[in-house]
Amino acid sequence: MDKLDTWLATKSSRRRFLGRAALGGAAVAAGPALAQSLVDLHLPGGNAERPITSAFPGKGSMILQRMHPPLLETPMEVFDRDVFTPNDQFFVRWHWADIPTSIDVDSFRLTVRGHVERPLSISLAQLLRLPRVEMAAVNQCSGNSRGLFQPRVPGAQWGHGAMGNAKWLGVRLRDILDYAGVKAGAAQVRFGALDQPVVAGGPDFGKALAIDHARDGEVMVAFGMNGDQLPLLNGFPTRLIVPGWYSTYWVKMLNDIEVLPGPDDEYWMAKAYKIPATPGANVKPGAKDFPTVPINRMIPRSWVTSLGEGQAIAYDRTIPLGGIAMGGDCGVAKVDVSADGGRSWHPAKLGTDHGKYSFRRWDAQVPLAGRGHVRLMSRCWNSAGHAQPMEPIWNPSGFMRGNVETTTIVAS
Amino acid sequence: MKTPSTGALAASMIGIAVLALIVTGRPGGHAPAPSPAPEGPAPSSVSFAGFTLTSDAVSLPVDDRQFPDGPHADVINANCTSCHSASMALTQPTLSAEQWKATVTKMKEVYKAPVAEQDIPAIVDYLTALSSHQAK
Ligand code: HEC
Repeated sequence: MDKLDTWLATKSSRRRFLGRAALGGAAVAAGPALAQSLVDLHLPGGNAERPITSAFPGKGSMILQRMHPPLLETPMEVFDRDVFTPNDQFFVRWHWADIPTSIDVDSFRLTVRGHVERPLSISLAQLLRLPRVEMAAVNQCSGNSRGLFQPRVPGAQWGHGAMGNAKWLGVRLRDILDYAGVKAGAAQVRFGALDQPVVAGGPDFGKALAIDHARDGEVMVAFGMNGDQLPLLNGFPTRLIVPGWYSTYWVKMLNDIEVLPGPDDEYWMAKAYKIPATPGANVKPGAKDFPTVPINRMIPRSWVTSLGEGQAIAYDRTIPLGGIAMGGDCGVAKVDVSADGGRSWHPAKLGTDHGKYSFRRWDAQVPLAGRGHVRLMSRCWNSAGHAQPMEPIWNPSGFMRGNVETTTIVAS
Repeated sequence: MKTPSTGALAASMIGIAVLALIVTGRPGGHAPAPSPAPEGPAPSSVSFAGFTLTSDAVSLPVDDRQFPDGPHADVINANCTSCHSASMALTQPTLSAEQWKATVTKMKEVYKAPVAEQDIPAIVDYLTALSSHQAK
């Protein structure tokens, strides 16, 4: 019932702000006039209700964060069904609204230029003929879970659903670069895409990787996602896959690869997506002048997905609990779970290993101390020995949340 | 001038083979059989070795949502709905006037939002008022 209450409260406070009855639409921050249903992302401090929408092409039920350009979040229950996130519920995130709405597979070209011996213009028919690789990898937004930062910070107010796991099929970036012949002295490779700023002079989205990273044999240009072509909103026809690194590097609608003799000094590398150069990207709330570095490798995370925040269950001495984990830039080594707010921990059983960059399912049977509120937690250790910290970090951009999360349920 | 190593030679031979492929373009004999489409021609596609890419065209929903009515709503609607939905601002947590001012300044300076200097106080007032209502 508290969902309805929050909704009504939002509605009435907005009404007061309006000073007169709104003709619909003012109730939910992200919402179109007639929201189909709402989801509560449980963000501290409120303004956490978002509509569920199915209005986007190639997409099923998604949490609507922003319509234009689309920011669509995956509902948590999707992650409970399978470690692979279906294409039609995979999260969507664009910066600029000038997104091509049609792509012709005959005329599309991927160019390779800059500090290379042989600039290339690769058609999709040609790309399909290059040696293929397939890899399972988690694609997670740098700002996933930003809405849970305390104190809150501006930016897209995501819950945990700005992430997904897929089997990516494509071509090694190394092969493409080798065909082009990288010249001595190359430092970085910049990736550009078809989307464009909507105002003149606005910073065009592009990201860069160090040349050795770009040539590591894992970074790939993908054209397949879970066995199909990419949904247009996830970057059709080609998207960069940077396993173990945050999604900001996974450039969608990739059509330009430029080898640079020096570092990329444009806005999206030099100014945006920077994290404090401190352990865990953590600084004191409110801190301002600290050295920064571009965001890079992901860290271990895990979530309870079999039960949702606030869910009521029948009390039992032990209950089954399930969820997903990711190691970040390496595999998942183990997951422990707690049903008493972190006082006692129990090992979870890990599901099928789909590769070190994939989500890994975990399941456990945990004892309940008694009836009432139960604080569920899961904690992942990755294969490099790093565990999720118990305490949340803070930084002004709301990047890299990775602490042990709590799901509170009620057993009666 | 360096003499290329065997490895480099091998790599460049692969490179040449694939380059030839890239230069020669679409191979023949792999055109998908056109399936009879009831309405108009089927979208074009390319396939090779069991994978097909088909041209895609979508239409995205249009957001005509404005900021809720209130003092200076006209100013914010005129300045803050062209690049992204109003929801970009409406989904934000409770922010202080200073934080809102920083955001509006970022829009103008970084993203080149054509916001007139004299409109900034009205926009910041509107957003700060919205935040304080949200906090209740
Ligand atoms: C010139 C285009 C443009 C205009 C006009 C514009 N914005 Fe933005 N805004 C952006 C872009 C680009 C982003 C980053 C989007 C993203 O990350 O998805 C953004 C992000 C935001 C954010 C998220 C916080 C952040 O720092 O990224 C807020 C809040 C916001 N805008 C509010 C406003 C307000 C208020 C106005 C009116 C003064 C405005 N915008 C006008 C382009 C614009």
